Amino acid sequence: MALLPKNISFSRQVLPVIALLGLVFAVFFIWNGLPDRELSEPDQEPPRATGELAYENRVAGAGVVEPSSEVIQLGTALSGLVTDLRVQPGDFVEKGEPLFTVDTRAIRSQLAQANSAIGEARAAIAEAQAAQSTASRQLALYRNVDDPAAVSRAEVIRAEGDVSAANGRLQLARARLQAAQATAQTARTEIGRATVRAPIAGQILAVNIRPGEFLSTMGGGGAPFIEMGETRPLHVRIDIDEEQASRVDLGASAIISPRGAANSQVKASFIRAEPLVVPKRSLTNSASERVDVRVLQVIYQLPEGDSRFRVGQQVDAFIPAAKTADSE
Amino acid sequence: MIWIAIRMLTGDRQKFYGLLFGIAFSTLLITQQLTIFVNLIERGASGVYNVSSADVWVMDPVSRTTDVAYAMPSTALDKVRGVKGVEWAVPHLRANASVRTKDGDLEGVAVIGVDDATLIGLPKSMVEGSTDVLSQPDAVIIDDVGTTRMFPGESPIGERLELNDQRAVVRGIADAIPSFTSTVVLYTKYSQALRYVPGTRNRLSFVLVGAADGVEAKSLSDSIEEQTGLKAQTRDEFARDGVQFIIENTGIPLNFGITVLLGFIVGVAIVGLTFSLFIRDNIKQFGALKAIGVTNGKIARMVAAQAAMVGLIGYGLGVLGTVGFIYGFSNNPTFKGFYIPWQIPLISFAAMVLIIALTGWIALRGVMKTEPAAVFR
Repeated sequence: MALLPKNISFSRQVLPVIALLGLVFAVFFIWNGLPDRELSEPDQEPPRATGELAYENRVAGAGVVEPSSEVIQLGTALSGLVTDLRVQPGDFVEKGEPLFTVDTRAIRSQLAQANSAIGEARAAIAEAQAAQSTASRQLALYRNVDDPAAVSRAEVIRAEGDVSAANGRLQLARARLQAAQATAQTARTEIGRATVRAPIAGQILAVNIRPGEFLSTMGGGGAPFIEMGETRPLHVRIDIDEEQASRVDLGASAIISPRGAANSQVKASFIRAEPLVVPKRSLTNSASERVDVRVLQVIYQLPEGDSRFRVGQQVDAFIPAAKTADSE
Repeated sequence: MIWIAIRMLTGDRQKFYGLLFGIAFSTLLITQQLTIFVNLIERGASGVYNVSSADVWVMDPVSRTTDVAYAMPSTALDKVRGVKGVEWAVPHLRANASVRTKDGDLEGVAVIGVDDATLIGLPKSMVEGSTDVLSQPDAVIIDDVGTTRMFPGESPIGERLELNDQRAVVRGIADAIPSFTSTVVLYTKYSQALRYVPGTRNRLSFVLVGAADGVEAKSLSDSIEEQTGLKAQTRDEFARDGVQFIIENTGIPLNFGITVLLGFIVGVAIVGLTFSLFIRDNIKQFGALKAIGVTNGKIARMVAAQAAMVGLIGYGLGVLGTVGFIYGFSNNPTFKGFYIPWQIPLISFAAMVLIIALTGWIALRGVMKTEPAAVFR
């Protein structure tokens, strides 16, 4: 203790001060060291029910945006190479507008063949008509001769036979013409079938074919050739767990928000509930998906002209619960 | 008079330091062991406390802790969202997976899938990088303790891992309290986690729920349980479940209980023996004081002052030792997140008061009986 001045005692004065300072430091350290277990608000807005629904009974569901016509997956009536593609994704088309054409060369040659057969048949008709008129005039000539001795009976019979033969040839030629016309008509119909037209007015959503690709009527390629649908307005198909299905107030409008943009909510009006309860489609990308949950699908109509919603997008929905279901 | 008592106490250096050592040591033992005990079993709740924004955790009725959980069908999320008083609900996936590192080693990891859009479920702060990195393809965030285990001495940022035949790239380090087993934790988006964890039919481990303003978490968890048939626990309840699980399934409480008891016994033995020896040695002085007319009450106060001084200094040094220990090891990953709960110094203080009062009282009985004549014997 030689380090300390004489009148200060280490054990009586320094040590208590050290102990007290140590205690103060310990209190300070412990106070600062307490773990931060405060609840915090999430940085990004999660989907939440707002307005009246926030404190009301409600049913929540997730769903997918779809065209009001649902997605139409266009196929082709004829197989063949794509020779002409008229539309791009995003195009709006009218009903009956041609979308794409498959190779028609073979059908066109059939048409040309049929056309030449028509010409041939027409020529045969003209020839048969000429022969018939010749034979008729001959027969008329024989018939007009009053003297039976002037024309032999055999001559008359031959002339009659010529007339009926000429009639027969004419009929045959006419039938050939009809057959050739029918063949041509068939070829024209086939040419029409080679061009796929829009079944409804709507928007092209996806084009999975390119000119030169071979399309098979058997499908098999996996992706549909062209997907389209009426996107004015859009619908959403909301999946609701079958256990919750009885609570839904069918007919009330729902609050819908797109995934990832939970603060941009819209009110969507009720369209219908699907009569068939289907297995839930999980979007887990797993090949061997097995489900035991079934869902009621309810369709709502989104307000028109909202660019935040796109076909195929996932949405979160809040629907009011039926008053009676929760009053017990 | 008190001053005389203090001089009397510090006069005998050896006994004084012996007393200080005994009290400081048993304080240190009790405080430090209790601290480590509490922190160790609270590791069972770290999974809950790492998620800072969820008021209520919803799970399958058989799930017990964050790590012992049975998955639910994905529509459970919508069931919970439909409950009155739920402000928001997001999916949360916790599963174990095996990861193949760049060197080909296999390591067990916990994969935590947080909500894709809001990232609710991530720890509050990051050591490196921001939470936005999860929007990059195949991105995962590793926890800081996992970094030291999986990538000792190097930066894990940009490292490629293989999870369930899928590529994962470490893009950030989260500041999280490790779990009881210190498993490496990889945080990723929910949709991504579904690919990283080998497929079973149901994947949703938990639904994290935020209560609407003015709704109590407890009443909300009750109404969720009633309406959905799932199990709902408030944050504190679920944290307690995690702690309870460790208490039930490990020998930690018994081991640490024994150590704390030993600390108490050592304290009583050293302090009691030294203090009563000290009083006994000074019995002549007390006798002299009595002879000059000092009352028993005054003597009791003197002994109390001596005890208080020794106790306070010893306790202060012991607590300082504990603080120094926790501070010194705060950078060690094993002790990451360790803290001294404020109750523990109070408990050890009560134990010290008990030890000193007990020994002081026993020693004082001799003094009280002393006749003033003792000074002449």
